[in-house]
Amino acid sequence: MQNVYTVAQVTSYIRNMFTQDFMLQRVRVRGEVSNCKYHTSGHIYFTLKDEKSTIMCVMFASDRKGLPFRMTEGQQVVVAGTVDVYERDGKYQLYARQIELDGIGALYEKYERLKRELEERGMFAEQYKQPIPQYIRTLGVVTAETGAAVRDIINVAKRRNPYVQIILYPAIVQGEAAAASIVEGIRAMERLKVDLIIVGRGGGSIEDLWAFNEEPVAQAVFDCNIPIISAVGHETDVTITDFVADLRAPTPSAAAELAVCDFGQLEERIAEYAYTMHHLCRRTIQSYRSQAQQYGVRLKYLSPLNTVRVKKTQAVSLEERLQTAMERKLEEARHRLALYAERMKGLSPLDKLSQGYAYAADASGKTLRSVDQVNTGEQIRVYVKDGSLLAEVREKLTENG
Amino acid sequence: MAKKKEEYIEEKEKPLSLEETFARIEEVIGHLETEEITLEESFAEYNRGMTLLARCNETIDRVEKKVLKINEDGGLDEF
Repeated sequence: MQNVYTVAQVTSYIRNMFTQDFMLQRVRVRGEVSNCKYHTSGHIYFTLKDEKSTIMCVMFASDRKGLPFRMTEGQQVVVAGTVDVYERDGKYQLYARQIELDGIGALYEKYERLKRELEERGMFAEQYKQPIPQYIRTLGVVTAETGAAVRDIINVAKRRNPYVQIILYPAIVQGEAAAASIVEGIRAMERLKVDLIIVGRGGGSIEDLWAFNEEPVAQAVFDCNIPIISAVGHETDVTITDFVADLRAPTPSAAAELAVCDFGQLEERIAEYAYTMHHLCRRTIQSYRSQAQQYGVRLKYLSPLNTVRVKKTQAVSLEERLQTAMERKLEEARHRLALYAERMKGLSPLDKLSQGYAYAADASGKTLRSVDQVNTGEQIRVYVKDGSLLAEVREKLTENG
Repeated sequence: MAKKKEEYIEEKEKPLSLEETFARIEEVIGHLETEEITLEESFAEYNRGMTLLARCNETIDRVEKKVLKINEDGGLDEF
């Protein structure tokens, strides 16, 4: 019987073979993650598998910086590290130093990294977003010359406003040359000084849409001084370009809706403005007119003619009062006269004359009451009941002389 | 009012975009809506508004456009 070895000896021997193998010291293995466990110690244990085989893997806490994402079941990854033997269990395993996502996974990772980076640089910030003009005359479209996207954009834009000039930059939107082509398209539109640009393409896989996740495209969109609407893929596809663009449209058709105003509505708006202005102006005139009418009424009331009429009425009434007062006075006077006449009648000398008395008056008609009033030889008149007599004073006799 | 006059001159000389024109018209309407506007002012504003509206219509280029395509030399072809 040959030499007998201990388990440890054999295991150690095998381990030695592993460590001496150049390839196993630096190996990159592609596979799908399964049985992934993040241990509390910070180590990560998982299994890599493909259709045929599996390999146990471990990543120590000290190497964790080599894993830039959260590893989960089913991910396709490329693990770089060393294959070594764990002597206690007699198992070989892959000691991972670096793990990256493979293929699509790598793209997602790249996408996340660039998104984070650009966000930190402030390229998604609201303050850099340019407002989308409401009424454009020229629309730049940077997209593939063939395909649904360009047709949708043209159809929608023309339906809304056939008077908008559309200029197409036939860009390559997929593959190696796409990013450069899209960037050139944006620059060409800037040179043409269009009013608004739509950048986009129809739906596809993440690889198909990849150009819109590349930094040069994002930078060109950011730098462009003409507002840009992005329209990449379907509603669920969100690319870096969408974040940088001034406005993100879910689809190319939606982008055209957002870019081009509805001409009918525009015309309606103009007509409405005209109507409002007519209306308001008429209202103002109306209000001035009614004010003028009010003033007219007031002025008429205050007119001197009105005063004259009032005074005339006053004059008439005064006249009436005067008349009445006057008539009363006359009546009174007449009455008194009658009374006096009656009284006078009693006193009248004429009555006495009719009883046989007479009275004498001098030449001037003065009644004689004394002999001293006349001289001898003067003529006097003697009045009797039915006439008068002219007489001459022959002698003056005094009562007591 | 002095400021207004400057604006009139500006309106005559500088081509305004439709947005700017609409903003001016809104301003005119706002002014016409106030109760204390004088009759002269209201005529002036109305005139201004109608001129702006006429310019809106001039600004709208009612010619149906063909889609153009940038060719390799940077020139434009019909699409």
